Amino acid sequence: MTRVRLALKQVPQLRVDLRGVTPAALAGLAPAQIERILVTHGTQTLPLAEFFTVACDDATDGELVFEGDLSRFDRIGWQLAGGRIVVAGSAGDYVGACMSGGEVQVQGSAGLLAACEMAGGTLTIAGDVGDHAASSLPGSMDGMRGGTLIVRGRAGDRFADRMRRGSALVFGDVGDFLASRLVAGTIAIGGRAGAHVGYGMRRGSLVFAGDAPRVAPTFVPALADAAVAWQLLARDLALHGGPFAGLATRRVVRHLGDLSADGRGELIVAM
Amino acid sequence: MSDPRVINGVVIDDTFAEAFPMKATRLIVTAHNLTWARHAAASATGFATSVIACGCEAGIERELGPDETPDGRPGLAVLIFSMSGKELAKQVERRVGQCVLTCPTTAVFAGIKEGEAIALGKNLRFFGDGWQISKVIAGVRYWRVPVMDGEFVAQETTAVTKAVGGGNLLMLATDTDAALNVAEAAVQAMKRLPNVVMPFPGGVVRSGSKVGSKYAALSASTNDAFCPGLYGLVAKSEITPEVRCVLEIVIDGLTEADVGAAMRVGMQACIEIGASGGLRRVSAGNYGGKLGPYHFHLHKLLGADGGSKP
Repeated sequence: MTRVRLALKQVPQLRVDLRGVTPAALAGLAPAQIERILVTHGTQTLPLAEFFTVACDDATDGELVFEGDLSRFDRIGWQLAGGRIVVAGSAGDYVGACMSGGEVQVQGSAGLLAACEMAGGTLTIAGDVGDHAASSLPGSMDGMRGGTLIVRGRAGDRFADRMRRGSALVFGDVGDFLASRLVAGTIAIGGRAGAHVGYGMRRGSLVFAGDAPRVAPTFVPALADAAVAWQLLARDLALHGGPFAGLATRRVVRHLGDLSADGRGELIVAM
Repeated sequence: MSDPRVINGVVIDDTFAEAFPMKATRLIVTAHNLTWARHAAASATGFATSVIACGCEAGIERELGPDETPDGRPGLAVLIFSMSGKELAKQVERRVGQCVLTCPTTAVFAGIKEGEAIALGKNLRFFGDGWQISKVIAGVRYWRVPVMDGEFVAQETTAVTKAVGGGNLLMLATDTDAALNVAEAAVQAMKRLPNVVMPFPGGVVRSGSKVGSKYAALSASTNDAFCPGLYGLVAKSEITPEVRCVLEIVIDGLTEADVGAAMRVGMQACIEIGASGGLRRVSAGNYGGKLGPYHFHLHKLLGADGGSKP
């Protein structure tokens, strides 16, 4: 196994689909073979060499590094099952979508639908993500269903729509309809949430380490203490630092809902 | 008893304890305070002295501080041993369901990570009647079951590990006071070690048994060779005239080394009290070495130093 480095030559005119360009697919290939791998650019099919200069070294096993602004490159880490992808810049849409294992690290921001239908592994985005992160692919019934998504910047609307399992953290603010139609899973927000938090959520936990959200009237205040579950959750979230550091020492207020759906979800507001 | 050794006036028999493979798990029971954790742990490990009729052997391993438990509350580590993984799973579910779930403020977690998983909260969750909530945190699934004081949190599974059961020491003393004093000191010393429990009441058993009985229905019966009341009556007695009380400590541990270490410190505590404290002999129970694969030779455990031939 080797580390493959793909350095962007210039920003393409149209969007490029990078599905299939994973550490496992490139393992054992010589740079010349990697350069001949075909990807779509708009309606064209072009070799990778059209967009990247390819270099291989033995620095890290099973690692694929993209260098440059890849905000026009979609589906980076699509269906990734293992290995590590580093994007030293921004990524396009669908980054980490449908991944089931391994690690994707985006050092810039990401576009729409990041981590949608993600089932395992870890996706870390140092900047912001667009709408529908951790949600479902268009037309699909279930969103993110496993793994960990960490957004160190802000997230757009419909974050974790229909999410079913896994953990998704946003250090900054999130847009409207956070966790709408959430089936289950854990979401933690370090900043401020937009309107309609937990709209139609059935189960799952939303933790607010920053500003308290506006709670819809379809949620009820929880009278019972959930100190044990909170300690387990808060101690794990605190490992991520930032707004989540020290979470276990904070008192919480919980609201249960959304009663318009199953009603077994919880909004946990750290005071 | 071919080559006994004498240390501090106490005869250490040249014999061995014979122990058996078992399956075990460790549970961590936490609560709002140590009192309620202890209520739950004591209840869950009650009636668990011998696999012969209890289904398992269990005991409290040690107290855990808030910095040692998953939820930051005080707790206790409990070890449960059984003859098979299947029986262990049954005992864990019954005991946690009836003694921990029911006890105010408690939560229960797996205390062993490696090994085959058996249900902990996995089936108890149905007590929630549909209101139970699953939560996966750091890859571990927990169940949150609503109860009248809030919610009962239980890790979904605990792990089963291979273990060793039936390590033992026999303490032969001049009277009841001396025997109890020696046994209590030995148990106290053993309790300071990790990975072992002494499952009998107070860690001590007075009804040591032998294999078989004159009654066909019984698989075990009183160890007549060590009964002072049968001295002179039974064909072969291990009792000498000055011995009037014999007590036994049974030790179950996660590994052979753990059981051996506990027996060693137990013997050392006995020897420290010595003949002046009324202890005459230390021995061990075995079945001729044909039944159990683990043999704990008393002399080997004490090492080469110390002692003299009588």
